Amino acid sequence: MLEKDILKEFQDVVGPEFIDDGDVMTNVYAYNWCTEFVNYMEGKEPIPFSPVPKAVILPSTTEEVQKIIKLCNKYKIKFKAQSTGLGPWNQPSTDNSIILDLRRMNKIVKIDEKNLYAVVESYVSGAQLQAEAMKYGLTVHMPGAGPMASPLASHTSMAGPGFTSPQTGHSARNVLGVEWVLPDGKIMRLGSLGQKNNPDWFIGDGPGPSLRGIMRGWVGAKSGIGVFTKVGIKLFPYPTDTKFVMTGHAPLYNFEKPDYIRAYVFDCKSWKGLEKIMLRVEEEEVGFIVSHISGLAVMAIFSYSIEGLMDKMALGVLKNPLLVVMGARTKREFDYKQMVMEDILTEYDLENIIDTKYVPEKVFYAECLRANLGYHGFIATGGFQSAKGQADAAALCLRAEKTNIPLKQKYIKKEAIANDFGEGAWMTSYEGGHFFHMESPTMFNQSDLKSVKGMANYMDESNKQDLIKHLGAPFFIEGDKLHDEWGPHMMNYHNWLRKIKAAFDPNGVADSGFYITAKKECENK
Amino acid sequence: MTTEHFPEQEYRRMIKMCLRCSVCKWIPQVQIKSQKYASCCPAMDIYDYHAYSGGGRIILALAYEMGRVKPSDDLLNIVYRCTECGNCAIACKYMNTLEPLEIIMKFREKLVKDGYGPMPQQKAYTEAMKKVNNPYNEPHEKRVDWLPSDIKVDPDAKLLYYVGCTSSYRRKEMAIAAARIMNAAGVPFNILKDDEFCCGSPVYRTGDVESFKVQLNKNLDVMESKGIETIIFSCAGCYDTFKVDYPLYREYNFEVLHTVEFFEQLIEEGKLKFTTEVPIMVTYHDPCHLGRTAERYEEWAGDELKLMPLVSINIPPKPKNIGAKGVYDAPRNILNKIPGLKLVEMERIMEYSYCCGAGAGVKSAFPDMAIRSSKNRIEEAEDSGANILVSACPFCSTNLQDGIKESGSKLKYYDISELILMALGLDPEKLIQATAGGA
Repeated sequence: MLEKDILKEFQDVVGPEFIDDGDVMTNVYAYNWCTEFVNYMEGKEPIPFSPVPKAVILPSTTEEVQKIIKLCNKYKIKFKAQSTGLGPWNQPSTDNSIILDLRRMNKIVKIDEKNLYAVVESYVSGAQLQAEAMKYGLTVHMPGAGPMASPLASHTSMAGPGFTSPQTGHSARNVLGVEWVLPDGKIMRLGSLGQKNNPDWFIGDGPGPSLRGIMRGWVGAKSGIGVFTKVGIKLFPYPTDTKFVMTGHAPLYNFEKPDYIRAYVFDCKSWKGLEKIMLRVEEEEVGFIVSHISGLAVMAIFSYSIEGLMDKMALGVLKNPLLVVMGARTKREFDYKQMVMEDILTEYDLENIIDTKYVPEKVFYAECLRANLGYHGFIATGGFQSAKGQADAAALCLRAEKTNIPLKQKYIKKEAIANDFGEGAWMTSYEGGHFFHMESPTMFNQSDLKSVKGMANYMDESNKQDLIKHLGAPFFIEGDKLHDEWGPHMMNYHNWLRKIKAAFDPNGVADSGFYITAKKECENK
Repeated sequence: MTTEHFPEQEYRRMIKMCLRCSVCKWIPQVQIKSQKYASCCPAMDIYDYHAYSGGGRIILALAYEMGRVKPSDDLLNIVYRCTECGNCAIACKYMNTLEPLEIIMKFREKLVKDGYGPMPQQKAYTEAMKKVNNPYNEPHEKRVDWLPSDIKVDPDAKLLYYVGCTSSYRRKEMAIAAARIMNAAGVPFNILKDDEFCCGSPVYRTGDVESFKVQLNKNLDVMESKGIETIIFSCAGCYDTFKVDYPLYREYNFEVLHTVEFFEQLIEEGKLKFTTEVPIMVTYHDPCHLGRTAERYEEWAGDELKLMPLVSINIPPKPKNIGAKGVYDAPRNILNKIPGLKLVEMERIMEYSYCCGAGAGVKSAFPDMAIRSSKNRIEEAEDSGANILVSACPFCSTNLQDGIKESGSKLKYYDISELILMALGLDPEKLIQATAGGA
C-alpha cells in the first residue's frame, strides 16, 4: 500500500478510480505465467506470484504517465509499465514498485496507408490494429506471442520474431517514431517525431546516433528504461485479398479461403537439407510464413485439442519439416509463386503433404493470416516457454537446435518436461532470409512443482550451453545476474548497458528486474 | 447428469493455470473485425483493471485459495461485477483447456459457503424469492396478471409454457405475445399459475447453490406431478437454467425448448403462416443464456490415459462446451422468413455475442454497470445500420431498453415474438409503431 499522502498525489493525477493500492487488486497484478520458474531460478519459492506492487495505476495520457514518473522519482518508488501483460517480464522485482497498466491508452492514432505505417498507443492489440489495417489492404508484424499482444510493447520493449517474419521482419526493425517518457519524467521523441517543424512518425532516427538502439536493442528493456506511450510502426501489404468471411462456430470456423493462398509442409530429411532448402525458399521470397518446426509441432498447428493432436501421429514422423504458406493478390503472382515452389520441390525431391496426405481445417488459413499459430503450443500441457532465441545465420540457429536435443532429452527422461523427442523448435527467417531466429518451445506443467523446477533447471542449463558452445545470446538474458554472466563473454556489453541505465534513470526508478540496474559494484566485474 | 461436473480438484488445478495472456478480454482473435468491437467483456470495458477479466478472476480465485487475499468488500465488489456471460470462456477455450466461467461460478459458491457472498441487493432478492417465489418481491398471486382473458389456456395440455418471473411481472408483452402465437398456431398449452415459481437462476448465478437446489426441486416436483412432456420458455435465463443447470443436480424426463425453437418448428410445420409485411431493418442480439451458455453438459464417463509424463488424453475425448451448440439459427431463420424484414448482423454475434450487461445479479447490485454495458451494445446495434433491435430474452429486453433510453438512441426494441405477431397480422398497432421509423 502507499502512504496516504502519496496515494493522494497519484490520485490527483489519474483520478481516484484509476489507482488501487488494495490487497485484492495488487495481488492480481503480482501474478503471471512463468513467474513460478523465474522465482525458482532466483532461489525463491516457485509460486506464480512476484513481489506485490504497492499500487496499480491506469493513466490515460502521456502527460499522466509523465506526472506519475515524476512522483516515482520524488518518492523513490519504482515503476513497472505493462500493456496486455503476458509473461513474467511484466512483473515488479520489488515490493517498492507500482504497476502502470496502460490499458486506457488504447488509441490507433493514425494509419498512413500511403506511407505504410501506423501510430498506436500502448494497449492497442495486434489483432485490433491488423483488423483496421486490413481495411486498407495492409497488415502488421505480430510477434509469436500472438495477436492479443500489444504491438507497441513488442516493437519497443520485447523480442519480436513472428510467424510472418519472412515478410514482416522483426519488431526491432519496424520501429519508426517513438514517444517515450524517460525514467526521469522527460519526454523523448525519436526520429522525425522530434523535428521542430512538421513532426511526424515516418522514421525513427535523425542526424545523430540512433537512440532506437539505446531504447531497445535486440530484445528490449521491458520497461526498465522508461515508458513508451506511442509508436510508429511499419505496415506491410496483406498477403492475400482481405475479404475475411467466417461462418460456423469456434474453433473450427468455416473460413472462406482467399483465392490465392496455399500451404506446404514437407520433410527436408536432413539438417543440411533443411538449411539449404530454407535458404532457397527465402531467397525466392515466395512465402509469408516460412517456419521450420518439429514433427510434433506440425501435429500441433493443425490440432485444436490434445486428442486431435494425437490423431495426427502420421505428421509427427517428419524429421526436418518446413512449413511454407504463400499468398498472392493476383492469379499471375500466385501462379508464379506456385511454379517457384514446384521447382524447389522437384529440385530437392520433396513431397508436399498438404492436400495430399493431410487436408488442414479451413480455419488454419485464417490463423496463418491473423497470426494465431502460436496458440497451438499450449495444447499439450497448457503451458510452454521457450529456451534459446538466437538471431543469426541459418547454420548457427540449426546448430543451436541440434545441440539442444540431448539436453532436452535429459529433462524429458527426468519427466520434468513433456516429450517432444527433444526436437521441439521453431525457426523462422526475417526479411526474406537475411537472418534467422530459432527458439526451443518446451512444454511443461506450471501447476506441477516437479515440472516447474525441471523447466527452470533446463532453461538454466540451456543458457549455459549457449554460452559454452558459442551459440549466440538467448533472448531471455535479462536481469543483473544473467547480464553479469554473459557480459564478460560479449565485449562487456553489460557495462555499457549500465552506463545507459545510469544516464537515463539517475534515481533507478524504472524497475529493472528484467533489464539491468546501474549498481556500481557490477560495473567493475 | 448428477455427478459433479466441475469437481473441486479440477478447480484447484485450473486456477494455477492461467497464462495471463489477455485472450479472455477479446472475442476470438480470428473474429476481430474492428478495433471498436474487439472486446468481449463488459466488466473489463467498464473497469479496465485486469482483475475484472476472466483471467483476473482466475488469479483472484487462486489468491483466495492461497490465503493471499482475504474476504473484503473490495473482493466482493470485483467478484460480483461480472455478468457471467461466458464470453471470456469462449475466447480462452478457443485453444486452451481452462474453464473460466466454471471457475468464476465456483468461486462465488465458495464465497457464499464461507459466509461472505453474495452482495446485499442479491441477498435481498434471494429472500424475496424464498418468500414470494420471485426476486422482484411481487405478490405471488399476481403472477398471472399478465394473462388476457381472451387467451386460451388448456389445463390438460402436456405442453407447458413456463412464463418466468421477468415476463410475468416486468415484460408482460413477451408473455402475451408468446401465448397469442401459440393460440394462433392452434397449439394447446398450459401455464402453472400459482404453481409456477422462480427457476432459481438469479440465486444460482450469485453462488447460492443451496437456495437454488430448493427452488429446482420445488419446480421439478410440480412439473413431474403434472406429467408435463414439453416446456416452452420465452425467457432465455429460465431456459438455460432448466436445460443446462437443473440436470447437474436432478434429472428430469421432459423436453425443454425456447420459444424461438418451438416457433420455428411451428413455421416449418405450416402451423404459423406469415401474412403481413413487416418492412423493417433489424439486428438480432443473441442472449448469452440462449447462445453460448445454453449448451447442456454431456456426461463423460471415459478414462484419462497418461500417454507420457505430463501429457494425458481422454478416451473418448471429453466434450468441451465452446458455445457451438447454442440456439443461433432458430431466431435468424424466423426473422429471415418474415416478409419485408431485413436482418443485418452486428460484429459480435452468436457464441461471441456481447452481453447486454444485466445477468448474474449485476442489474440489481450494480445497475450502473448494467446500463453502461447495455449502452455499448446499443451503439453496436446502431452501427449495424438497423433501426430495430430484436432479441429473445426478457432480461436482455429490460436492460437493452434501459440502455436505449439512457443513451437517447433512436433504436426501437422488440422481442422476436412481437415481430412474429406483427407478421401474423395480429398486432397491427405495434406494426405501425415498428415501421414508423422506416427501414
